[in-house]
Order: sequence, then C-alpha cells, then structure tokens
Amino acid sequence: MALYLHALRAVVVFLLGVAPAFAGSDAPIDQATIEKNRKANEACYGCHSAAGIAKPPKAGLDLTKLKDSKVEPEVYNPSDHGVMDCRQCHAPNHYNDYPHAKEGKEATSACTECHAAKVLRLEPQFNASVHAKTKGVKEKFACHTCHNAHVSIVALRLKDPSKIVAQDNHGCLECHNSDKEFAKFAPDDEKKPGAKKKRPDIDTIHAWLPNAKAHWKAVRCVECHSPEVQPGKMLSHEILNKDKSEKKCVACHSANSSLKTRLYRHLVKDEQQKYGFTNSVMLSNSYVIGATRHPLLDATLIGLVVLTLLGVLAHGALRILATLARKGKKGEQK
Amino acid sequence: MSGRIYLLPLWIRLWHWTNALLIIILTVSGVSLHFADPKLTLIEFSLADRIHHIAGLALVAAYTFFVVANIVSGNWWQYVPKPPGILERCWIQGKWYAFGIFRGEPHPYRVSEEQNFNALQALSYWGIMYMVMPVMLATGLVFMFPEFAPDRAFGFDGLLPVAILHYVTGAVIVAFMIAHIYLGTTGKTATSMFKTMLNGWHED
Repeated sequence: MALYLHALRAVVVFLLGVAPAFAGSDAPIDQATIEKNRKANEACYGCHSAAGIAKPPKAGLDLTKLKDSKVEPEVYNPSDHGVMDCRQCHAPNHYNDYPHAKEGKEATSACTECHAAKVLRLEPQFNASVHAKTKGVKEKFACHTCHNAHVSIVALRLKDPSKIVAQDNHGCLECHNSDKEFAKFAPDDEKKPGAKKKRPDIDTIHAWLPNAKAHWKAVRCVECHSPEVQPGKMLSHEILNKDKSEKKCVACHSANSSLKTRLYRHLVKDEQQKYGFTNSVMLSNSYVIGATRHPLLDATLIGLVVLTLLGVLAHGALRILATLARKGKKGEQK
Repeated sequence: MSGRIYLLPLWIRLWHWTNALLIIILTVSGVSLHFADPKLTLIEFSLADRIHHIAGLALVAAYTFFVVANIVSGNWWQYVPKPPGILERCWIQGKWYAFGIFRGEPHPYRVSEEQNFNALQALSYWGIMYMVMPVMLATGLVFMFPEFAPDRAFGFDGLLPVAILHYVTGAVIVAFMIAHIYLGTTGKTATSMFKTMLNGWHED
C-alpha cells in the first residue's frame, strides 16, 4: 500500500512539475498586473500599515487587532509575494468590503493552492524533521510558522549571503530565542509530567561551537541543522535536532566546503578564484578558515618552512661529514 | 682562555621554555586549523580552535612578561645590534656558518656577560621578537575579537588582511624556530648551548 502511495505521489509531483506555471513559479507577472495589484493593495494599507495605524481612516477601529495584522508596503512589495493582490490569499469574498466578514481569517488560502508541487515534494522532508517528529508539535506547524509570506525573498533573488542569513535565521530564532513564542509550540516535558518543555538557551546549547556569535551572523542555522545536500539541489526541509546535526567543523572549514552547496549555492557558479583565492565567493562575505585559502601563499609558506628544514638538515649532515673527515685526517697524521 | 660564566638568569630561561612550548602547541593547532581537511586530521577542528585560543592568550601573557622583564632588567639592550661594524660582524659570523664551521675553526665571536649574542643572533632575535611577534600576537587578538577587524578590504571580508598577516608571521616564526633549534647545536659541543639554556651557565 505504501508503495502505491509513493508511486501516486511521484506521478502527482511529476505532473505538477511539468504543468504550466502556476503562481509560485518564476514565471514573470506583467507590469500592468503588478501595477493593478499594488493599486488595489493600497486600500488595505489604508488601515493595515504603520501609516494607517497612526492615522486611522475610520473612527472606532480596534488598533490592537490592527497592529497584529500590519504589513509594511516597503517590505511587502519587494518580497516574493509582493507582486500579488492581498486578496489572492486573503479570501476576496470576505475582504472586498469593510467591516470584513468574520470567516475571513479562516478562509485564507492554503499555500498548497499555488505551491502544490513544492509542498508535495517537501512534505516527506518536513515529516522527517524534528518539528514533525516531536509529539504534539506537528499539528501546530504550517509553512508560515517559519516563512513569513509578507516578507520572505527566495535566496536566489536575495543573493547577498548576509541578507539570506538574517532572513532565514530570523525564522528559527523567532521561536528558539523567545520563551513566549517557544511556549506556543512547546511539547510536553518528558521529565516533568504535566509540564511543557522549557526553551533551551541558544547560547548554552551551542557552547561547544567556537565563536558561536560569529557563526550566527555568517551562516544559517540550517547549514548544520539539515541533512547533506547534493550540489545544485535545494536544502532539505528536514530540520535536524542536535543529535543528527552536523558537528564536524571541517564540513564547512575545508577547501571542499559544504557551504558551496548550501549558503553559497547560488553564488558558486560565479566562482572565479578572485585574486587566486580558493572559494573567493565566500571570502567576499566571510573569511572561513580552512576554506578560503590562497594556494600560492600556502605553497610559498610551506616552501619556506620545508627549505629551512632541508637547509639545516643538509648543514648538519655536512658538519658531521666534515668532522669525520677531519678526525680521519688527524688519525692518518698520527 | 676558557671559562664558565653565568649568562642567563632564571626568568629568561623560564620565559624561553614557556615560549618554546607555547609556540610548538600553536604551530600544531594552527596547522590543524589552516589546513583543515576531513581526510587528514591532525587535531580535531573545534579542539584545535580551543587549544589555539588558550595557548595564544598564554603567549600574549608570556610576551608581555618578556617585554616588561626586559625593560626592568635592562636585558633589552642585548637585542640591539650595535654599531660600529655591524655588517662586518654579520659577514664574519655568516662566513663562519657557511665555511669555518666545517673546517673546525673556532667561533668568531666570544660570548660575554656584556654581549650575550653574536651580531646575527642579535639582529634576528630583535627582528623576530620586536617586529614579527607583535604583529602575530596583535593579529591573533583581532582574530579572537573580529569586531575590531576592518569591515571590508579589497572587496573581501575585512578579516582577510588580518588572517594573512597572522599566517605569514606565524610561518616565519616556525621557520625561525627550526633554524634556532638547529643553531643551538653549533656551540662548543652539540648540546652545550641547550645546557646553557637549562642551567644558565655558558661554557667556552
């Protein structure tokens, strides 16, 4: 039975993959549609933005509720979904008029409506992840738990590794660095019946990691907390717990660094060994000891040390020979 | 004339061997970090990092002690290559290492309490201890606290020039150490200079 399900899934994924571009694909949206959508969104920003909250267009609005549903046009517009009409996800039937229908929130489109193929492909990965395997957590998880659809920009478009890191780590740290948010998803504490698991302190659990703070800024949590990735493939959604995560520093800190298939996946094709440096695309962002080397400098310095060693060994050998020769001569003279 | 002079006070000897031990530890751990490779592990990376940090800080402390003790005791004067005729004395010393030593000729320079080092020794020790070491230690400290590194350099991360200076000065010190250990065998006997470095007494 499981085999049939797998086969069925494979067929569906294939069909969806080759189907004409749905939203969520890289197919460009024409400029006129973008303009039309943005114009329509302005009506929403009238209330659902910082400006709207500061100067509500209507009296008697629930400002606390409004603050929770605030979207900034300058953040939303450049985001991946920023070309879309708000009502594409926020059910048009409920949001065309004010006051909005109460059912509106529940009627928000599921991500699968546009991203069906992707979700089908990622679901098994997510199901294997710590967020799905921990009892009582999976049900509370949705795409938007980690990915903010109003903000998020895909890594390929972001390009700048520091921006990718900031965006993606924010998704993890929003819960893992906040007791309040963590508590919303916390599973039962295995040691204390009836109690919820307390958030482990990020710094304490990463105490083993040298220069942890420098890592937070330079790489994403998922560089270590996701399984090995094949060159050119997308990072897995199987988020790994501490037992399964990468702990070998040399996975990244070596000439054949795995960062090439992870954070620098989209930049690595532009690698030109700038000024002769190995992994110079990484060096543009971070000096990664062990990975960002200069083969010529390495050869020169190894040469310096080896030649010094050979020099003193040769000198020593000659001294021994010369001493023996002198002793031999003295012996002959006697 | 042959004699026995008390050349090296205890503090210099203690500093010297502490310095030597730390530099060997830093060399092995530093090589493990720079040439990190999953197929060829000298010391595991995170352990090497920890060792390098601790030994590095200890070396900063040892160097500070060295500088302060040299000022207080007046020993710093030994490291200053003194005119006149520095170049000539260097040439004579170099010629001895290149030829005279093989012919069994006596040392061209006689060690005294006033002048512990020959001209080449004074020059190289001065260069290593007062030029190369401070650069290596300072760049090592910036490596430890990268917030003090420049933000960008040559279109790369600003840590790059710091890392390169650290690497080059480190390698120069390793090469110096090899030559230094070997030249330690060029005393009256192959071991006499090592004995001096242990008990402080120089024998002609």
